[in-house]
Amino acid sequence: MIQFISHHTERYTYLDGIRLALDGGIRWVQLRMKDASDEDFLRTGREVRKLCDRYNATFIIDDRVELVREIGADGVHLGKKDMPIAEARRMLGNNVIIGGTANTFEDIEAHYRASANYIGCGPFRFTTTKQGLSPLLGIEGYRSIMQNVREAGFDIPVVAIGGITADDISSLMLTGIAGIALSGAILRADNPIEELKKIMKYE
Amino acid sequence: MQINVNNKPINTEATNLSTLASELSLPEKGVAVAINNRMVPRSQWEQTPLSEGTSVIIIKAACGG
Repeated sequence: MIQFISHHTERYTYLDGIRLALDGGIRWVQLRMKDASDEDFLRTGREVRKLCDRYNATFIIDDRVELVREIGADGVHLGKKDMPIAEARRMLGNNVIIGGTANTFEDIEAHYRASANYIGCGPFRFTTTKQGLSPLLGIEGYRSIMQNVREAGFDIPVVAIGGITADDISSLMLTGIAGIALSGAILRADNPIEELKKIMKYE
Repeated sequence: MQINVNNKPINTEATNLSTLASELSLPEKGVAVAINNRMVPRSQWEQTPLSEGTSVIIIKAACGG
């Protein structure tokens, strides 16, 4: 299960990147435009909604709880500095997917109890896409976190994130995570389409 | 038969993903489902068989808890 987090480069706009990902078989998209105005986000978000409908893909937006309904997104992903999950749940109700960022088992437990529907857990390794992150987890980190999740009996899907490339996926999946979130790995590759094919083999 | 949904064992009568979806009252929209790590679009749920021990991951609102 792979979530594509939007990203832009000199070659690809946000929409280009998402179109490329959907064309390549991705069926779970997160629109992340950290520095964009709400107006730009809304405009792009509406286009992404149409694209995701066409491909039957699940569509999550990053951070902007107040735009979920306007865009018609299926859910929202909340980082550590964004609105607390419980507050977003109160605003959005039970029909919206809420994902939360976690670095430790304690984060996962807190998000689970606050009614999150999935967890983006990371970072796996150093990444230039997102800076100022928590300590790196590596394979061993996921192994121990997932063991805690199983022992606690939390039925919440955990997705690994942060600097993951195609070559990491098979060993990461063995730790018991539900999937992978990717951003830079695809669009920064010399040949994004080939990279995506390589990644989708694990899907 | 016992399968795993989000790493939790559950008992089900469902023999394919579509019947499981109704058993679990999955909503019409905004659900992502993967079987043994592979995402399955809704159009293929009916043709996707479940067997003992199948691992199903479901990302949806109001899941778990």
